[in-house]
This record gives sequence, structure tokens and C-alpha cells, in this order.
Amino acid sequence: MIDVHELSKSFGDHLVLDKITEHIESGEKVVIIGPSGSGKSTFLRCLNLLETPSSGTITFDGQVITDPKTDIDAVRRRMGMVFQHFNLFPNMTIRKNLTLAPVRTGLLKQAEANDKATALLKRVGLEEKADTYPAQLSGGQKQRVAIVRALMMEPEVMLFDEPTSALDPEMVGEVLDVMKELARDGMTMVVVTHEMGFAKEVGSRILFMADGKVLEKGTPQEVFGSPKNPRLRDFLSKVLI
Amino acid sequence: MNFWINFSDKFNQAFVTGDRWRLYLKGLLSTLELTVAALALGVVLGVLVAVLRAAHDQQRVGQHNVLLGAANAVCQVYTTVIRGTPMLVQLLIWRFVILSTVRDYTLVGALGLGINSGAYVAEIVRGGLMSVDAGQSEAGRSLGLGYIDTMRFIVVPQAFKNILPSLGNEFITLLKDTSLVSAIGGAELVYFAQSVGARTYEVMFPYIGIAVMYLVVVMFLTWLQGRLERRLRQSDRRS
Repeated sequence: MIDVHELSKSFGDHLVLDKITEHIESGEKVVIIGPSGSGKSTFLRCLNLLETPSSGTITFDGQVITDPKTDIDAVRRRMGMVFQHFNLFPNMTIRKNLTLAPVRTGLLKQAEANDKATALLKRVGLEEKADTYPAQLSGGQKQRVAIVRALMMEPEVMLFDEPTSALDPEMVGEVLDVMKELARDGMTMVVVTHEMGFAKEVGSRILFMADGKVLEKGTPQEVFGSPKNPRLRDFLSKVLI
Repeated sequence: MNFWINFSDKFNQAFVTGDRWRLYLKGLLSTLELTVAALALGVVLGVLVAVLRAAHDQQRVGQHNVLLGAANAVCQVYTTVIRGTPMLVQLLIWRFVILSTVRDYTLVGALGLGINSGAYVAEIVRGGLMSVDAGQSEAGRSLGLGYIDTMRFIVVPQAFKNILPSLGNEFITLLKDTSLVSAIGGAELVYFAQSVGARTYEVMFPYIGIAVMYLVVVMFLTWLQGRLERRLRQSDRRS
């Protein structure tokens, strides 16, 4: 579904991604782990071109999205993204947050979008929050709304950029539960996270990144059970599982 | 006793005799018209310049648009020249150099003020656009919204709330700066106060009178601004 070929990204002289080649199949749940500064988030942000790669190509469903002629807005409509800091629109109600993009891009009529928003909010237990503003929600609620906002566009793949890193500990569970449900429904997911429990339970494939390279990859059993790369072993010994 | 007789005489002379209050009213109206016209022009110019410059600065690396580069250069020259020269000098240049054949001096004044205000509004708006967290437009774009929709529904409304205090100040400054238009013969409040003073050889009442009028209008605008700001803060409430 997503083909990444020799993807490199540098900020000035600093090389953040070093010729990464990776293939993500439809239905896969790819979890990317690694120390901070390893390039995980940059890699994820390159997938929907929030960062412009310095070199290399990314192909989504047969379409070379790194080609400047590609209609990037049309591609992004098919890829949902969830951010570490939620990035809900504070000037709109929750309902408006959810319906703005599908209505403006012509995917849904306003009435249809409202119905869909209500249905999705119900699924994450927030239907009574539809007419409130983001400032009135807790972090966990905000992130659940942010996931629903991305789902409103009926994306074929969901990108998660450290979705629980900005949350208070007691709110991590409610967000992970929504993500697990999404995984069970068969959504293709690429998740950058520090939640090793989630990676083990949900991940169909784990990528370990450090210094802009994928140093090790495999099933959760392989990566967590018998890590080969010394950097990975060092990393796993430092994180709580 | 003498003082009070003198006082009311002079007051009558300045405001009542020959229905002179009508002149002040006419001047006040003209001042307000000038302000609104200049403000409209200033906001249109300012937003245009700010959006052009922001769009230029936010281009993807390696995809520089030549047209946008040229527009950005023009905008930079505009803000530099306007903000680097005195308003009065600009007005004199409009009136006696560039538009020396135009007889409607109030109109020339509105044009000069508007073009002047645009440069300041541009910097205010640009600052406002930059004050909105980059994550906001990233979120909009990641949902598949285009640059224009993202600006229109997400960035600009939030920027507007942030710049409202500065924009209000600019509006108030503009209102007071319309008094400079009298220097090029525009018929506004100062112009009529001067003409009354010239006829009665008494300037204290006309000048203090118009000072009070400016003050009242400014206080009204400040009150209005506070109300608008409170309304826009609605979405920040936490309960």
C-alpha cells in the first residue's frame, strides 16, 4: 500500500532520515519505536508530506506522491493523521471540528457529516460533547476526538504520531482502547509510540529506528523476545515494559 | 462673575452663533468617514500584503514561485517606505506631487491615510498569522483541506482573535491621524475648528471642543473593542 524507497531527509546539515526503504501492506499495524531524535516522527510526517523528503520516493497505492505534480490534498484525504498535541481547532465546536473537512472537500453534505459525527462520537463515548469547545475537554477526550476527526474522512491508513505522549498517565488507556478497536476493525495503521505494551499487543510488525535508520524489524515476538541489534537491546533495557 | 459672562460669550461664539455647531457636526462626520474609508483600504491592503508574505515564507523547500517572490519584494518595499517616512510628509506628497490635479482633498487624505495604515495593518496581521501554532495548519492540511480553506477556516479566525487588540489600537490611531488631513486642506474636524477660530479670533473653545469630541469617539471605540474581544473569547471558556 505504501512503498518508501531510499527516503532521506535532512534539516540543514543534519541528516534525520538516511535512505530508508520500507513497504507497508494494507491491513498492517506497523509500530515504530526508538529513542528520541531517531527520526521516527519525521519518517511518519514524510508519509503524508507534512515534511518534504530531501530525496527518495514514496508511493501510495501506485501513485508517486513525492512527485511535485501530485495533488497532495487528494492524497492526504485518504490518510488520517493523529498528532501528539491533538491539534483540535480551538475556535470551533467539536461537531464543527469533525465536519469541516468532509464538508469542504465535498465528501459529505453537512447533514450527512453531522450524522456521521454523532455516530462516531458515540463509538468513543463522547456524543454529549458535540457542542462544546476543545478547551472544555480533558487530554484523553481531545485525543479521542482527534482520532474521530481523522476517521471522518474515511481514510485508508491512519498515521499516529506519539498519540499518548502528551497525556496524563490515567488518560493513556482510553486513547489506546480506541486505537485497539480501530486495529481490530482492520484499519491499516502506522504508529510512532513509546507504549511498548501497545506495540506488543497490537503491532503486526515493529520497526526499531535509531540515527535515521531502521536498525531492526520483525514481529513483536522477534523484536521484544530476541532482539539482535545492540542498540535495540540497550533501548529495551531502558524502557519499562 | 465677569469670567462666567466672558466664558458663556465665548462658548456661544464658538458653538452657537450662526449655528456653528453644525460645522463641527459636519467635520465630525467627515472625520468618521475619512477613518472608515482609510481603515477599509488599510485592512484590504494589509491583509493582502500579509497573506502574500506569509504564503511566500511558507512555501515548500525547493518549490519557490517566481511570481510570489516578486510580489513579496514589492510588499517589502511598500512597508519599508511607508513605515520609514512621516505620515504628514506622505500626505503632502500625495496632495502636491502625485495627485496635485485632484481637487477633492478629503479623498486624497483618505487615500494617503489608507495606504499608510495598510503597511501597519500588514505587520499586525502577519504577526497574528505567525502566532497561530503550526500544528493547526498541519492538522487542517492533513485532513486534505487546501491552503486557502485552511487559512480561511482555521488560521485566520484564530489570528484575528489574537490581533484584535492591536487592530483596535490601529483604528484609534487612524481616527486621530485624520486630523493631519487638515494640513492638505481636507474638510474634517480640525479644518472647521480652525475656520471658526479664524472668524472669531478665539481658538480655545474650538480646539478644546474638538479634543473632547475625539476623546468621546475613542472611548466609545475602546468600549466596543472590549465587547468584541469578550465575545471572541467564548471558545476559551473551560466550563
